[in-house]
Amino acid sequence: MDNKLRPCLLFLCCLFVAIQTRAQKVNKFPSKTDPLHEKVTQFDKLMLGNHWNEGAIMQHVIFPPAGLDRPIVGSQADCLDPTSEMLAAYSHKYALTKDEKDRDIANQIFEAILKLEKVTGVSGLVARSFNQTDEPLWHEEVMWYHEWHQSTSMPGYRWLGDLSADKFTSIFYGVGIFWEICADSQYKEKAAGLLDRFIGRVIDNNFKLSDLDGKMTLWGNFCPDLPHQPLNSLEMLAALKVTHRITGKERFNAAYHMLIDRYQYDDHQINSKILFPKEWRNVGDDYHAARSLYMLMRFEDDPNLLNKYRMNLNRHWYDWKDIEFTWESTIWFVMVYQVLTDEDIMTAEREQAIKNMWGFERRMKEFNIPQKDGSFKKVKSEEERTAAAMIRNYWFGRYYGIIDEKW
Amino acid sequence: MKIIYTALIVLMGTSIIFSQDLHKPPEGMVLVAEGGFIMGSKYGDHDEKPQQIAYTKAFFIDKYEISNTEFAKFDPHFKFPDSKKDNAAIVTWSQADAYAKWAGKRLPTEKEWEKAARGIDGRVFPWGNTYDNTYVVWDQKSTRGTSIAKPASPYGCYDMAGGVWEWTADWYKPYPGNKVPMEQYGEKYKVMRGGSNFNNHSFIRTSQRYYVLPEKISNYPVGFRCVLDIEKKK
Repeated sequence: MDNKLRPCLLFLCCLFVAIQTRAQKVNKFPSKTDPLHEKVTQFDKLMLGNHWNEGAIMQHVIFPPAGLDRPIVGSQADCLDPTSEMLAAYSHKYALTKDEKDRDIANQIFEAILKLEKVTGVSGLVARSFNQTDEPLWHEEVMWYHEWHQSTSMPGYRWLGDLSADKFTSIFYGVGIFWEICADSQYKEKAAGLLDRFIGRVIDNNFKLSDLDGKMTLWGNFCPDLPHQPLNSLEMLAALKVTHRITGKERFNAAYHMLIDRYQYDDHQINSKILFPKEWRNVGDDYHAARSLYMLMRFEDDPNLLNKYRMNLNRHWYDWKDIEFTWESTIWFVMVYQVLTDEDIMTAEREQAIKNMWGFERRMKEFNIPQKDGSFKKVKSEEERTAAAMIRNYWFGRYYGIIDEKW
Repeated sequence: MKIIYTALIVLMGTSIIFSQDLHKPPEGMVLVAEGGFIMGSKYGDHDEKPQQIAYTKAFFIDKYEISNTEFAKFDPHFKFPDSKKDNAAIVTWSQADAYAKWAGKRLPTEKEWEKAARGIDGRVFPWGNTYDNTYVVWDQKSTRGTSIAKPASPYGCYDMAGGVWEWTADWYKPYPGNKVPMEQYGEKYKVMRGGSNFNNHSFIRTSQRYYVLPEKISNYPVGFRCVLDIEKKK
């Protein structure tokens, strides 16, 4: 190579690295051979540093030049999943450590869920995600249904509507655990208020998630008058049980028993897990069932209902007992089963799967970015997915004594 | 009340059917007879109300949604993977409208689409009132007509529940007598019907309405099928 070119090339390389790392607040990744606690520590720093959107946790972050210097460009439809996972993680962590710094992080994440309600301007209507921006961002056009709105209640913010049953589950699961083992009296009251408004609005709309336009959202159907999946019956019962426990309000208990006595939701939910044909088995749905059963079975004390929920859990276990640990949540299913049944099902293979838990790799990807003139521009950028489930799994396991702190 | 409704419509519909000359449908289409049917619902979103008896002339409608291969005959620049030759084409409203005109047909009105999907008796799904996973194709990635049980609508149409959404000719407007205001009503959004099975079960009900910008379908998988007026066939 020409000696004159060498310094130029070196300079360009340094410039490229500098641009790439400018917006990445945290760049240190663990090694796969690190002990579990070290991997969790590093991924926790990456999540809080790079995915923190005013307390809400981004499921996917795209860095500059395709992203911004704040983590608000990326797929955002499922942000409530990692947000609730991190809320649960820090709640379990605080319950162990009693460290006020952990509780403060949990409080901030919970405040972001409150903001997801505030940004819509409608009491009890919760957004999927929000961004502080005056103008639509490019990913709004191509990464989900066109359900972004300019906020009227929080000027300078945009929010994503069309909440789903999955995100509904994230809310009662995350907020429920926060209330149960982390929140102080002030935050317990705030948590109860949020679920009172959120679940109360669903009841008011005949057990449907209604969007800003008054129509049922694409996945928001728990309605006894409309055909819906057995999984949705389970999620609704779990939400009502949690909200009754937290608020103490009889209307939620009455709604729970109405759905059971008049509409047999307790029977309907048993088949949440589709077992056959085998190709219809869906671990994504299992995740929502696991979170629902985890909340419902600990809060219910009627033995007849508990039997039916156990039947549901057993159907899941039929699949989970041989499940491959290819997804961060599948090992959590096994831990949830152990916690709910008190059966010792931990094997050397499952322990190893827990120790092998991993978050994500940072990858380079080419994005097709829509331009104002209707054309598309190809831009290469780095992106990160989420490690929130792994972090939640860890602190869940630590809380229940499944995971040794030395691992 | 529903039984009385149905009996009344059957009587009216039957007399009309007997009095008309039944034409043989063109290949790939079925005949939907002239007459009344139960349109809308009492239990769905407010835009499905009021439930009413609506009337249509007789018309032919495609048994299946237009496939990628069929659409590419109209638009040679239309690209799709080789493995999806027989899948429903996902297009904007104006693309669908242009294809229909090219084929000497047109897009169905909401009334026509709903009648073709549910017949005259107000059923929830094309096959009846109970949801069954084996009755629908999973989503737009599946080939048309490949649900396990392959149920047809009362007139012989397939995949009117699930698969892809389907364009109608109509703007999103309130039904006559509907007093619930919606800012989306007017001539900005077109109505799509039939749901995609990636949505919840209620969205594949025959009376479910959903609105979308005609030229900006975002990630909604929207396809279409065409209708042909009886007199046009002559």
